[in-house]
Amino acid sequence: MSTIVIDTCAGEDQGREALAAAAIASLDLDVQMVVVGDEDEITSALDGLAHDAERLRVVHAADPLPENVDPRDIRQAAPRSSIAVGLELTARDPDAIFVSAGQPAAIVSLALQTLGRLPGVDRAALAAVYPTLRHRGPNDDPFALLLDVGATIECTSEHLLRFAAMGAAYASKISSVERPRVGLLANGNNPANAPLRVREAHHSLRGRDLPFEYIGLMRGDQVTHGEADVIVTDGFSGDVLVRTLEGVAATADALIRRAEARFKWRLGVQMLGGGIAKLREFTDWENYGGAPLLGLDRPVIVTQANSGSRAFVNAIRLGAKMQRLGVISAVAEAVMTSTAALGEEEPS
Amino acid sequence: MSDWMGSGHLLHLRWDLDKTYLRTDFDSLKDLIKTYRQKAEDKVAIVGARSLMQALLDPHERRKRRVTFISGSPTQMRAVLTRKLRLDGIEPDLFILKPNLSNIISGRVRSIRGQVGYKLGALMRSYVGATDLDELLFGDDAEQDAFIYSLYADILAGRVDAVQLASILGACKLYRAEVDEVMSLHGRLFNTGDAVRRIFIHLEARSPLDRFAPYGARVVPVYNYLQAALVLHQGEVLRARDIVSVLEAMSVAGYTPARLANSVQDLVRRGVVAVADLERLAGELAAVETTRGRTVSTFIQRLRSTVADLHHVRRKSPEWLTEINYLGLYHSARFRRTRHRFLGIPLLD
Repeated sequence: MSTIVIDTCAGEDQGREALAAAAIASLDLDVQMVVVGDEDEITSALDGLAHDAERLRVVHAADPLPENVDPRDIRQAAPRSSIAVGLELTARDPDAIFVSAGQPAAIVSLALQTLGRLPGVDRAALAAVYPTLRHRGPNDDPFALLLDVGATIECTSEHLLRFAAMGAAYASKISSVERPRVGLLANGNNPANAPLRVREAHHSLRGRDLPFEYIGLMRGDQVTHGEADVIVTDGFSGDVLVRTLEGVAATADALIRRAEARFKWRLGVQMLGGGIAKLREFTDWENYGGAPLLGLDRPVIVTQANSGSRAFVNAIRLGAKMQRLGVISAVAEAVMTSTAALGEEEPS
Repeated sequence: MSDWMGSGHLLHLRWDLDKTYLRTDFDSLKDLIKTYRQKAEDKVAIVGARSLMQALLDPHERRKRRVTFISGSPTQMRAVLTRKLRLDGIEPDLFILKPNLSNIISGRVRSIRGQVGYKLGALMRSYVGATDLDELLFGDDAEQDAFIYSLYADILAGRVDAVQLASILGACKLYRAEVDEVMSLHGRLFNTGDAVRRIFIHLEARSPLDRFAPYGARVVPVYNYLQAALVLHQGEVLRARDIVSVLEAMSVAGYTPARLANSVQDLVRRGVVAVADLERLAGELAAVETTRGRTVSTFIQRLRSTVADLHHVRRKSPEWLTEINYLGLYHSARFRRTRHRFLGIPLLD
């Protein structure tokens, strides 16, 4: 049985939504919940929530995260923060998964300090899913994977190659895609125009016998088409891209709401109501759970700062699924295989 | 107020059957028929219930203990239910079942589903003439056990007078005959003694705990019977070796050490059991351990780490309430049921 360690000091309503999700999961899922946060507040909030106390343990950790501190120094500045304690608990239990809506930089930094890295991995990658036009795998999964979206801001070509291997292994397990299609995000399809790290990674991946299919460089506008199951980039570009995609979806939603407010347009919007609802469902990030942090020896899932209980429950489900499918060992194996394959002489 | 029984008193255990002692599904008509047709051998007790009951009815203590089952199951099931209890080694002193057939024949439709008139009447009838009695009541959150048991306890304690009771029974829409019987029993039992020590509510439906807060400390919601056993150990009704029996039964049924430890932690966080009592229990269990297996040693280990984890917790015990707003509680429960029936809002929200 998986152990889900959940940080209840972050998320919508000051972490109450995370706690609500933990309560739901304790009732509905075959998991052991470990709720980390202010014990006093958690206990009084739990009184009003239907939950299964047999499957829920509370661990007190309420040091606030200091502001304006280098993420690398957080552990020292707040050793009993919910993230630090949660990750320590995760490190001690081989079946544990950590879920948090805390600051991604703090989570990444503390996770790298507390958890073990997979062999051959020196940088972690935060992998976000996003909906695409093309569906994939036997489950008709509409989601593709984009990594890194903020864990490693400065990347070398070596890092991009590891990210490709990790992302492909993750997609292969989670979406059941036998041989995922992997693309490198670039400013065009011509390698000559790409930055050096992307160019080098492209040359290393091209024509190799890898457990995934490398489909080349991809422009930003090709991301949502779904040609690639996994898109690899550095943390800086990935973060910008994923936030742009979210911003576009939010703007489209705002425009629809504005149209609903206008009397003349209301009828038209109402007639499209079913389609709009589906579109909203499709682009609603709360449905995706969260972004797994790949490269570590335990699953860590980072959810958005304003996550509601639905997002947390989906993150918990994702974590349990990762544990059940052995995603971490698959990622480790893929990194080893790819490292060996890429270490061979470059094909002529 | 001394909240636990004095020595030498007769201890009367009152148990509900379905969802309190027996694992029963009667949420649909199909389940109901299945339950009705089930043989005694196929009926399953809730994990730990049998061990707890056997510990409470220890042969050395048996002459000082009485056990009554009051069940909403129809009288036609008496033979099979009696056999099931006998298979579990339990011989109740009194076994009250609901006369559903006569309710149908006499057209008392509300009495078929309703519990207040039936259970309150049965509790009161079986108390008539009792003296020097302490009572422990066991029910569940699927019906209105906390409400009925507390009302009964407050009638005995003289905290619900005839006027209040009449208005409560009126709100519950009881039939005239039921009201007359309960009111007449009230006349005989009102203020005869504060006999009910604890009301254990098995959280079968996992209802939120704050549903039971308005009843005060007398009502103890429990997620499992280890929790009930720990509370009873704190009250010196059970010994450490009784806890071991419950523990072993739960362990055999698949309860992991983590689940058991979580149950203990929950009680401490709620202030139902004090950390000091757990420390005492760990010491007592260690003495029992020599004759028992790994289950106990693992539990002691978990118990000690739970105590260490919660060293900062200084939770006040829940308060005993002298005034309970029964009408308000009845109406809010009814509102929840109506909301569930017509708007589909889950009962647990």
